[in-house]
Amino acid sequence: MGFVEIRDLTFAYDRRQPPVIEGFSLSLEKGEILGILGPSGSGKSTLLRVIAGLEVPAAGTIVIAGKRVVDGGTFVPPEKRGVGMVFQDYALFPHLTVEQNVGFGLHRLPRKERRERVGRVLELVRMTGFERRYPHELSGGQQQRVALARALAPNPDVLLMDEPFSNLDADLRVSIRDELAAILRQAGVTCLFVTHDREDVEAVCDRYIVMEADATSSD
Amino acid sequence: MKLRKALMMILAGILLAGVLAACGNSPNNAGDQNAAAGGQNPGAGSTQTGEPQPGAQKGEQVVNVYSARHYEVDDVLFRQFTDATGIKVNVIKGEAEELIERIKREGASTGADLFFTVDGGVLAYAKESGILEPVASSVIEQNVPAKYRDKENHWIGVATRARVIVYSKDRVDPAQLSTYEDLADPKWKRKVLARSSSSLYNVSLLASFIALKGEAAAEAWAKGIVANFARDPQGGDRDQAKAIVAGIGDVAIMNTYYVGLLAHSKDPEEVKVAEQVGVFFPNQETDGTHINISGIGLVKHGKHKENAIQLIEFLTGKEAQETLTNANFEFPVNPAAERAEYIKAWGEFKEQELDFDLLHVHNAKAIEIFNKAGWK
Amino acid sequence: MELARFVRQIRRELDGWRLASLGWAAVLLLPFLFIFSAWFRKPNEQWLQIRAYLLKDYVTGTVQLTVLTGLLAAFLGVSLAWLVAAHDFPLRRFFRWALLLPLAIPPYIAAYTYSNMLSYTGVVQKTLRDLGVEVSPKWLAFGSVRGALFSFVLFLYPYVYLIARAFMERQCASWVESARLLGARPLAVFWRVALPMARPAVAGGVALVVYEVLGDYGVTSYFGIRTLTTGIFQTWFGMYDVESAMRLASWLMVAVVGLFVLERWLRRGRLYHVSGRPRPMAPVRLRGGAAAAAFAFCFVVFALGFLIPVVQLIAWASLAFEDVWKPAFWRWTLNTVAVATLAAFAVTAISLVVANVCRRRTALNQLLARWVTAGYAMPGAVIAIGILAVFIELDGVLAPLYAAMGWGDRPLVLSTSVAMLVLGYVIRFTATGYNPVEAGYENIGTRFSESARLLGHGRTRTFFRVEMPLLRGSVAVGFLLTFVEICKELPLALLLRPFNFETLATQTYRYAKDEQIILAAFPSLLVIAVSLLSVAVLHMAERRA
Repeated sequence: MGFVEIRDLTFAYDRRQPPVIEGFSLSLEKGEILGILGPSGSGKSTLLRVIAGLEVPAAGTIVIAGKRVVDGGTFVPPEKRGVGMVFQDYALFPHLTVEQNVGFGLHRLPRKERRERVGRVLELVRMTGFERRYPHELSGGQQQRVALARALAPNPDVLLMDEPFSNLDADLRVSIRDELAAILRQAGVTCLFVTHDREDVEAVCDRYIVMEADATSSD
Repeated sequence: MKLRKALMMILAGILLAGVLAACGNSPNNAGDQNAAAGGQNPGAGSTQTGEPQPGAQKGEQVVNVYSARHYEVDDVLFRQFTDATGIKVNVIKGEAEELIERIKREGASTGADLFFTVDGGVLAYAKESGILEPVASSVIEQNVPAKYRDKENHWIGVATRARVIVYSKDRVDPAQLSTYEDLADPKWKRKVLARSSSSLYNVSLLASFIALKGEAAAEAWAKGIVANFARDPQGGDRDQAKAIVAGIGDVAIMNTYYVGLLAHSKDPEEVKVAEQVGVFFPNQETDGTHINISGIGLVKHGKHKENAIQLIEFLTGKEAQETLTNANFEFPVNPAAERAEYIKAWGEFKEQELDFDLLHVHNAKAIEIFNKAGWK
Repeated sequence: MELARFVRQIRRELDGWRLASLGWAAVLLLPFLFIFSAWFRKPNEQWLQIRAYLLKDYVTGTVQLTVLTGLLAAFLGVSLAWLVAAHDFPLRRFFRWALLLPLAIPPYIAAYTYSNMLSYTGVVQKTLRDLGVEVSPKWLAFGSVRGALFSFVLFLYPYVYLIARAFMERQCASWVESARLLGARPLAVFWRVALPMARPAVAGGVALVVYEVLGDYGVTSYFGIRTLTTGIFQTWFGMYDVESAMRLASWLMVAVVGLFVLERWLRRGRLYHVSGRPRPMAPVRLRGGAAAAAFAFCFVVFALGFLIPVVQLIAWASLAFEDVWKPAFWRWTLNTVAVATLAAFAVTAISLVVANVCRRRTALNQLLARWVTAGYAMPGAVIAIGILAVFIELDGVLAPLYAAMGWGDRPLVLSTSVAMLVLGYVIRFTATGYNPVEAGYENIGTRFSESARLLGHGRTRTFFRVEMPLLRGSVAVGFLLTFVEICKELPLALLLRPFNFETLATQTYRYAKDEQIILAAFPSLLVIAVSLLSVAVLHMAERRA
């Protein structure tokens, strides 16, 4: 049994239209970085949203870290799933500083511990010293790193990344890709990585699957 | 932090709501739901913004008046009363029906001591609603002749006004005028002006006709007047006078005190209007000119009866009566009081001899006749 | 399996937010149900009388006024919008926003101002007399239907103007320019291209005007015009017959629902999709006679709709300055502000909750949003009657509780408190607060909320820590607009206000009715000043958009 187990997942936006994801299955080991490669419209972002709990699948089961989060009779809401996500446009809270952004998911910790954890994770993404800055003061690459730090800070069971490089310039992509790979390995986090660029996947992931327009899994 | 701030705001909102609601609901508001009206009130509820007061706490004397009159002179009179006696007067203004309804609902815990209004029909309705009680005061009985008081003294008249024919001095020879009924004659076609039938002044006028001449005659009169309208009823009484001067009509039906107010207005144009119209008291040979009365009643469950009676005595006393007539051009009820100079010039006139209760009795019928006649 | 999934669905859907929204929607249903219940009771004598003599008048009055106002306001609003959007002439930029200002003057204030100005003793006739000019009074007769139409059209057209102008400035460019290039004459461009395309926008604006007219009491009662709304007031206050008033209210409600449906139908013209980015039109420069005519047109409207009434009011107010500053004046102002603040606050809270729930566009959510904001179409009198009926019933039900609390035998607590008025305002003006908030939610999108939830914050926490700070601007706009609308409002205040509770609006009305215009001037100016706030906000919000 993998760390993350997805079985027969089916999802449709509208009952009248054909499902975007049909009978999809996936297994992920702990600490593995899995890439999902596919053209736009193949439902890869949707897949992430379903795993995160932002959408409800029509059928199928999802087990994360041994806990059933979705099946016929269960639905665990996103805030309780232990899933972290980095959106395509990072979605950093514009009214909060970097420190507040990163510490956002740590609200259950006492303040001292929170500060420590934020410091450690910022160090991991090499953004120490930027605590008081606001998102609009950061470059694209910096924002991405902060978004990553924010998602990693609460120690999620699995990290989802949705096309993290699509907003960056081509030259930045290469350097950031390698950095990202290093950070992920150092953190040892289980990661699901979605992109349409084969090179991204080859640089960062341990293995990858390809998602066609009709979303069947293949290796 | 933000959560707390939001909670504070919500709490403040609730508190504010509570305060406002509480302001409106001192436990004084016990009352019966009026079974007759099905427990429905005209929506004018009862928030007392600090008045009426019991007043007993600080040894301060008060009297609470629920008044449906809106004339400035009333406030002047109340102030004079306070100056003379030290009793504070709290006035709550509203429409007559809503005030009566409120007093009814408040029942034994009402805050009202006196009910002050215009129109004999309303006074009769108040008496019928059981909210008033007889006033026993020899002073008052001396001040006010019996015809200006309720038979059982449930209400005391304070001033009267007549509803007369006002005419253009240029175009109308007063010799042509005689009675109300005459105005319905076709010779006045397109020359008559009056305000809307929704005005209580007109309704009471018609009610008096029903009482004195019968329904059929009243209906015929109303229809005749409508046929003679120079224009559809619009505006108040003063607008009818202005319309005469503007040449829209030649005669109008209006209350006497408005003419006085026009003549003494701050606006010189209005004074000019008053100068160009004359006042004619109809039906002098027959049943008299229609008068209506402003009166004040003692509320049965009021808490300051003595102060209340004192106020009535004051209002019907010579001084206050003269202040009243000079400021508002109403006719005083107290025979010892002199009318204002301006209205003295009109001379004495014969009044309708009518029990004011009948104005209430025929009120609904009068409205019905107005509707049937198409008097808008 | 199905049942389990259903249960799962329910548990997911019914969080506190959803429940609150649905609960509020249910509360809103009550007043209207009560009104319709009147039909199931035997009619009383008054009603039979009304039906025999008055109903026809009421209905014709209402229909006549509504249709004429709608057409005239549409004409005025659209032509001005077209003039300003598509042409350039002297002072055009000034007029562009100045033509909004008449909205700051509530029609009932305009009615009595003009009526007195044009009366025999008013400044117009007096000046003419001084100049020795003889004018037949018929010309200046400012009463009845003519006066009402003037008051409505000239002071409500900005609803149409604003919406039409916004549309024309942004969406029309390509079509209009193509038409011009194809040689169409200016008038043809207007009639055959701009106007048809603007139809949905214009329909929306006209609908707003029509709802105002339907619910008006100040203007129609001042001029003695019989409409369903004045009928409701008359039977309620004058004849003291709430039953018949409810029946009239239900008639009015049917009319409004019909119009509501008609409006939706007219607005479905989303056929004209704008492709590409909206861009402004290149205005046609007017010269000579045309420019002068355009200028004159705009100036006349502006003068009549704002300049003249305000100057006259200031003149009157200065006459009565000392008379005004009595303690009662402060009380009315305080009343107005307190109630408006409370109600606007409630509206904002409700809008935030419901708009948040309705971010997911399901059919049920759309219906919910539509229902919660429908009050803007409903005449104040109808809402008032419904609320009254509910509250009296409620007081009856709670009577044992009151007795237990020592408040005597069957008092009327709720139905005589400010709560009714506040509730009335909330029902009527939720739309005003909702629209900016909804737009705000749309602007921030879902990603912040989703991020927050993935970081372990529940729906409510997310709202307070993420969404509220980002919505501050929209919330402020919504609050302010609602606050202003409430300050201006008259019919609801007249009907539901507690005993001896006057607002600036009701007091203005009372003074005007008592023919004490000079005393009415100052509170009127205050109301106008407050309304100018909303015009300013609208203008700024539009500039930023």
